[in-house]
Amino acid sequence: MNPQGFVALVLHTHLPFVRHPEHPDFLEERWLFEAITETYLPLLERFQRLANEGVPFRITMSFTPPLLAMLADPVLQGRYVRHLEKLIDLSGKEIERTRWMPPFHRLALLYHHRFKTARQQFVETYRQSLIAPFRELSDRGLIEPIASAATHGYLPLMDLSPSAVRAQIHVGVQAFEHAFGKRPAGFWLPECGYHPGHEQYLKECGVRYFLTDAHGILLGSPRPKYGVFAPAVCENGVAAFGRDLESSKSVWSAEEGYPGDHDYREFYRDIGYDLDYEYVRPYLSGDGARLNTGIKYYRITGKTNDKQPYDPDRAIERAAQHAGNFLFNRAQQIEHLRSVIDRAPIVVSPYDAELFGHWWFEGPDWLEFLIRKAHTDQTALSLIAPSDYFQHYPTNQVLEPSMSSWGHGGYHDVWLNGSNDWLYRHLHKMAERMTQLAREHAQPDALQRRALNQMARELLLAQSSDWAFILKTQTHAAYVYRRIHDHLARFNALYDAVQQRRIDDTRLARLEETDSPFPFLDYRVYAD
Amino acid sequence: MARKGSSSSSKPLKRRAARLAALVSSLTAGAADATRKVVRGRKAPSKPAGGATAQAAPAAPIPRASVVRKPSRNPTIARRKAAAGKSPVRKPGRRAGDAASSPLPVSSASTTPAAPWEPAQPASAPHHSRTPQEPPSPSAGETPYAIPSGYGDDRIVLMVKDPWWLYAYWEIQPETERAARGRLLPHEIAGLRSVLRVYDVTGRDSPAEPVHRAFDIALSGLATNWFIQTDAPNREFIVDIGLLANTGRFLLLARSNRVTTPRTTPSEVIDEDWMVTDEAYWKLFGLSGLGSGSSPSWSGSVSSFSVVGTTRPSIVRGFWCRVNADLVIHGATEPRSTVAIQGQPVAVRRDGSFSLRLTLPVGTQTVAIDITSPDGRHTKTVTPVVTLAWSGALSADAASTETPRARTHARPSGDNG
Repeated sequence: MNPQGFVALVLHTHLPFVRHPEHPDFLEERWLFEAITETYLPLLERFQRLANEGVPFRITMSFTPPLLAMLADPVLQGRYVRHLEKLIDLSGKEIERTRWMPPFHRLALLYHHRFKTARQQFVETYRQSLIAPFRELSDRGLIEPIASAATHGYLPLMDLSPSAVRAQIHVGVQAFEHAFGKRPAGFWLPECGYHPGHEQYLKECGVRYFLTDAHGILLGSPRPKYGVFAPAVCENGVAAFGRDLESSKSVWSAEEGYPGDHDYREFYRDIGYDLDYEYVRPYLSGDGARLNTGIKYYRITGKTNDKQPYDPDRAIERAAQHAGNFLFNRAQQIEHLRSVIDRAPIVVSPYDAELFGHWWFEGPDWLEFLIRKAHTDQTALSLIAPSDYFQHYPTNQVLEPSMSSWGHGGYHDVWLNGSNDWLYRHLHKMAERMTQLAREHAQPDALQRRALNQMARELLLAQSSDWAFILKTQTHAAYVYRRIHDHLARFNALYDAVQQRRIDDTRLARLEETDSPFPFLDYRVYAD
Repeated sequence: MARKGSSSSSKPLKRRAARLAALVSSLTAGAADATRKVVRGRKAPSKPAGGATAQAAPAAPIPRASVVRKPSRNPTIARRKAAAGKSPVRKPGRRAGDAASSPLPVSSASTTPAAPWEPAQPASAPHHSRTPQEPPSPSAGETPYAIPSGYGDDRIVLMVKDPWWLYAYWEIQPETERAARGRLLPHEIAGLRSVLRVYDVTGRDSPAEPVHRAFDIALSGLATNWFIQTDAPNREFIVDIGLLANTGRFLLLARSNRVTTPRTTPSEVIDEDWMVTDEAYWKLFGLSGLGSGSSPSWSGSVSSFSVVGTTRPSIVRGFWCRVNADLVIHGATEPRSTVAIQGQPVAVRRDGSFSLRLTLPVGTQTVAIDITSPDGRHTKTVTPVVTLAWSGALSADAASTETPRARTHARPSGDNG
């Protein structure tokens, strides 16, 4: 029986490129370590378990080039193992400390086991590289990996320099091809930031579809006949899938969404903050400030600071219920939709992958339940990847999507406001200079080529949307100022050096080693 | 149009003033300063940026960055800041020091002093440092690299912020402005002012053609950027920056690129091959979770790792406290002896010392500590009995102002106290 409709779950994985071999211990590198332990490994484990049991599924995952570069980086891989070893040590001490407190003791054992399993998986099963297992899942057709922009640059605010947009997209696709050995079917526009016309560069790369927020489609012109429940095709043939906000909200919203359930684990109570300072000090970062260790013993409990101990059994039961509820709601939604439209709708639900496991501890379990229940408990809908939809409905309405993003306000406010607007005059200037030099140096010598490629790296790294975002939230602002400063300064120094034909080989080599992603980069992408 | 006299529009003077303001703003650590302008309107940006501030802030990352007062939603981050308060850029700042003290082979680059933006040598010891990192004292000859305040251009760039707001930044060289002034007649000089002229050029090739609408924004002396309220979705705009004389004469200094604001209402265009009725369209609108109305408020989900924390659920505030008592058992014996507490082995350090921390529940606990000599011949058992009793309730709603008192009686047998 043909399903009544389709659901496409899209997990967007991204972390900014943070790699500082020049420091023995670097706080912001923990973003990667936490995401590996709490999100990437748990997802892989569940996907592989489902695959081994023959449960069919189809999940779309975008992988940004900075994340791919960090996952493949030996320095960070080694540091991750050391990070895990400290957690194993700490959780081992926790087993002892909590011996007289059974609810906590049980959790300490659980964390200890998780960390040891993580080490075993990372070191032995995956040999420190997590790209290969995702690629294998992709080869088996279980996940549809899609590409994203080179450094998660926010493309609508880059529109002044078409070559900069083109480079973000082309380099993003190249990084994807290096990791997955094939062209990406789809492309994740960073922050779902769409500017009319950017589909041109996607087409150049052979990309078939991208994702926008709901209003990108709903306010498109002509009016979309199927709303966000079927792809819209741009004039040039590249399709756009709109985000379904109803299903998004049920996971995203902290108040109404599943992750806020009182039985789920509380993210904000971590032993890094709760326990005696002397005791946790060896597990903190170099500066000794308290931080999240990942060991958390409480459940959300309610709108109170008087938290109750976490009960994993109750939580997992809740995750199963929520998975059932999600499926039920989608089936209802699809049934309503069938009364309005004359074809099987596709409901596209994109989420940040790091929500699953890192913020929402039970998220990976929820996902596994969802996949199992979708397979066994119902026939109304089926999980597909966006590209699969074209097999069912190859012909779709042509329209021009509307400028949009999934950021607060639906447009560019998050990345363009009084806290970060000063960035753009520099980013635009860098893009202009890069384009100028790329055009002037069609036939570079070896040293010039390296310098120009490094300039392109510095530019791309400076363009990461994360910097503008962090400047707005002021959470790691000091680090971000420094990053922008360094990339801009390195870029401008190289610009002068190339123009004056005074490139210092040694200095260049050090930059290549430090700002190291995209070894395949060819700066001439800026020349077109 | 306003024709107020202004003798302060000398650009070189302004630039100096801008630098001064920048310095001040960096010293006052981001306090709203006089150069900030508020564009009045329905939906003012949270912080309309003043030009000089915007330029200068990056040049002085240290003070600006230290303004992290807003409690962070991600405790990791906020608290790190608090502890690192001495110098929030401690880490990056440490680079030069690292390079200087690195025991690694000296590279040829050391013959020329490293610029502050240059990467330091990789850390020599790949182990986690536990010493607080101090900011370096810059070595002689190093000057901090400043983010350029300009690039020597005459240009204005226009960007879309959302359907109702634009943003423009610009840079005009003093000589360009002087040349423009040179074209003025003497009586036009008085009352001359800098303005942004905003054109709605929807469907027009250039502002030279009759435009739909144009309006001027008088600039205050130090501005190098402006948030512009147009309240005009789905329109095209170009902005000129220039000098306006009281005769109405406008001297163009630079013209911006063209931008188009996005629409906020459904398109009026209907494709006859893909007919959709109003009713069906709005139904689909609702079924996608957008609710009713043509100007929905979008959920604020965002993408970076450190972001989801901004949706932290609210906590009902009230007095609360938390008190725990840990028992630390520590001692020493012959190196290579084995120590077990409650039958579980405890690591003995090379010097024979050992320690273990236990969090105690309320009540009396008997803790059995067995110490066995390296050859296994001698065993000594020490058994502290610990009673923990609290007086005062710790639940959040009841009597939380009472002071809990812990009574701990440790009665170690043996001399390992």
